[in-house]
Amino acid sequence: MRVSVVFIWAFMFAALGLGLVYLKVTRLGIPLDPSVEAAVWDVEARVGFDGRNLPVKVKLALPDSPRGFAVLDEDFVSRGYGLAIGNGTPNARRAVWTIRRASGAQALYYHVKVYPKRGDAAIIDGAAPTFPEVPEYQEPLASAINAVLKQAREESADVVTFTSLLITTLTNSDDENVKLIRKSATAEEWPNLLTTILAGARIPSRIVYGLPLDIEFVDRSLSPWLEVHNGEHWQGFNPDTGEEGYPESFLIWSYGSPDITDTRGVQHVHVTFAAARNPQTQLSVAKQVESKLNTGLLALSLSELPVSTQNVYRVLLMVPLGALVIVVMRMVVGVPTFGTFMPVLVALAFRETRLAAGVVLFLLVVSAGLMIRSALTHLRLLLLPRLTSVLVIVIGLMLAISLLSNELGIEQGLSIALFPMVILTMTIERMSIVWEERGPTTAIKEFIGSLVVAIGAYFAMTEEHLVYLMFVFPELLLVVLSFCLMFGAYTGYRLSEIFRFKDLAKD
Amino acid sequence: MIGTWLALRSRGILGLNARNRAYVMRRNPRRRYPLVDDKLKTKRLAIEAGISVPELYGVMETEHDLASLGQLLSSYSEFVIKPARGSGGSGVLVIDGRRKDLFVKPDGRGLPLSEIVYHASNILSGIYSLGGVTDNAMIEYRVRVDPIFNPVSYQGVPDIRLLVYRGVPTMGMVRLPTRQSDGKANLHQGAVGVGIEISSGMTTKGVWHNRTVAEHPDFGVPLAGLQIPTWPRLLELGARCFELTGLGYLGVDIVLDRTHGPLLLELNARPGLGIQIANHRGLKTRLDAIDRVPNLPSTPADRVQLAVELFRNS
Repeated sequence: MRVSVVFIWAFMFAALGLGLVYLKVTRLGIPLDPSVEAAVWDVEARVGFDGRNLPVKVKLALPDSPRGFAVLDEDFVSRGYGLAIGNGTPNARRAVWTIRRASGAQALYYHVKVYPKRGDAAIIDGAAPTFPEVPEYQEPLASAINAVLKQAREESADVVTFTSLLITTLTNSDDENVKLIRKSATAEEWPNLLTTILAGARIPSRIVYGLPLDIEFVDRSLSPWLEVHNGEHWQGFNPDTGEEGYPESFLIWSYGSPDITDTRGVQHVHVTFAAARNPQTQLSVAKQVESKLNTGLLALSLSELPVSTQNVYRVLLMVPLGALVIVVMRMVVGVPTFGTFMPVLVALAFRETRLAAGVVLFLLVVSAGLMIRSALTHLRLLLLPRLTSVLVIVIGLMLAISLLSNELGIEQGLSIALFPMVILTMTIERMSIVWEERGPTTAIKEFIGSLVVAIGAYFAMTEEHLVYLMFVFPELLLVVLSFCLMFGAYTGYRLSEIFRFKDLAKD
Repeated sequence: MIGTWLALRSRGILGLNARNRAYVMRRNPRRRYPLVDDKLKTKRLAIEAGISVPELYGVMETEHDLASLGQLLSSYSEFVIKPARGSGGSGVLVIDGRRKDLFVKPDGRGLPLSEIVYHASNILSGIYSLGGVTDNAMIEYRVRVDPIFNPVSYQGVPDIRLLVYRGVPTMGMVRLPTRQSDGKANLHQGAVGVGIEISSGMTTKGVWHNRTVAEHPDFGVPLAGLQIPTWPRLLELGARCFELTGLGYLGVDIVLDRTHGPLLLELNARPGLGIQIANHRGLKTRLDAIDRVPNLPSTPADRVQLAVELFRNS
């Protein structure tokens, strides 16, 4: 019945809020911890060549939405060259530089800023390739390859174990056949030879070229890596050890062709790569990611607002948390308080004055106000004028405290001006009525209860990590709402009732 | 502490959260609240239904009316002034005699007319009312309590609280003023609550400041074994209040006047839980027992009969 409906709503709000947080964290990489720094990598490709005073055309393969990375920014440095970016077939994005004439040493640069996304391991890669034809190997290599393939086939279960086993055998075994195969290829030719051998088992494979972005480097070339299609997706293998997987933070630059530059009219072409780590706060990275991806997830972002408004919301977004503290304290613990939201407002004032000074000032004003209020009782004033008189007196007290502390050089005293005077007035009025009607014990109990709840709310509202989370993920309001719904349906005892009804638990 | 929690649960003790959500919010339609929050409305409704109430002498609605207060009071030596929307007995002023020009309170203090007018004016401005809205001051018959309560009440007027669930009297207690409660029959202010057996009208144990007591804190006399006179009439009066208000979870406050018998004093849509301690019984158990009855009787008399049967041995 009613309870379950409440919980369904609560669950939906919580799921929505947490889902949005999850998307922001995974898609945009917004950190849950504000101190986390993002590793943004600046990768530079330099194409150097000598011109021969002829028309020049230089092509450079470019990374195309590389797996596990978000491309934040890219630019080209190529003074005087015409630049076209070809984006025809998948995995074949490339830059084409052209110039009518070039002579002497030339250098073209491509910069890309990438950011490793965590938890983005999915390899999405178009349609499955067709099975390759069995190549015609030359003897004596043919017999050796067939022997090795036969052995691997017998000892393996599927494409992955087959590939892994094959490479391990080819790199480690002392078998005569293997030695023969190993001798037939240089280190550069090795990955190519592997794809040829795998084709002998009709396994689609390809070589990808990339850069492991774990340490900074200069003047490096792309590392080849073997990828095998297991029928569902491409899987990486270390061509030298047969180990499954990719190197840590492996930025895949291009697929297939080892010749990433296709040039005309030049000589001495060499492509080198450099990478530098550029630490930034995760949040600024997330914004750059969003500007590229346009997911709309940051539509709820408060950092777009003017700074002064941002600061207001930094505080306002914490008020629901403070109120949630009150809900828990009253509904679950059963602490008596004056008014419903009075402790939150007092806690807001504590935020400005700092806790210790705030508590002292609060006690000072309320106790002085109470004394004066009890004097007013004898004047028999009607309600509204009496409340207004208390308000005037409260402001007078605040002013007096400010002036006095200024004179004494106590800076904290000045912050009394930040207290919400209407709340102080109502507190004094409520307290004096409770004092008269139910006695000082009840009044003081309720006052202490309010103060304790206010201090609890203060801690919740000033917790820096929480402030950060609420500001960056305002959708957490939905989670707070879901908690409120659940507490609204809470029908268990309050802790205070355990003591109140203690006698009933005995026989 | 978890042990206590579980013990309370197994004894069917009702907590505030459960009372509010499972009973008050479910059984009491909001639009019916004004009937009980305003004692004037309750009184008029009760008179229409033929339920006896303390006689209303007059109502002060505006500051202007206060000018005629002295004239109104001149014909009565005993009366009570109370806010129509007050709660917990606050703002109730009892006058039980005259001494020259002074109005005498039960504790013997004499008040001049100006003091009475000031009190009424405070009531009008809403100090005692729920939510601080402006209020009316009622001047009514001052109840002369049945002498049965003389040995166990300190001044003031003891009253009987019946908890009526869906028209069935579920639990009862008599609230006795103490020195501490300043003659008010309000448990929060220090009055003693004494449980009453529904089937017999016999008092059992007492509760004072949430703790079980066997004797009156001021007089030391035992609280148990008092037979409430006209108990069946009281139960029926309580049961009839269900039809009167349409509130399914209702606190009915009744006084026993020595000449007029049981009089309906006021109704409460959120009756407190201290009644459980006074009776040493969990309300939840009894409410569940009533909810298990497939078709509750439609007449108050039958519902009283049901209550007597249901709660005879529990």
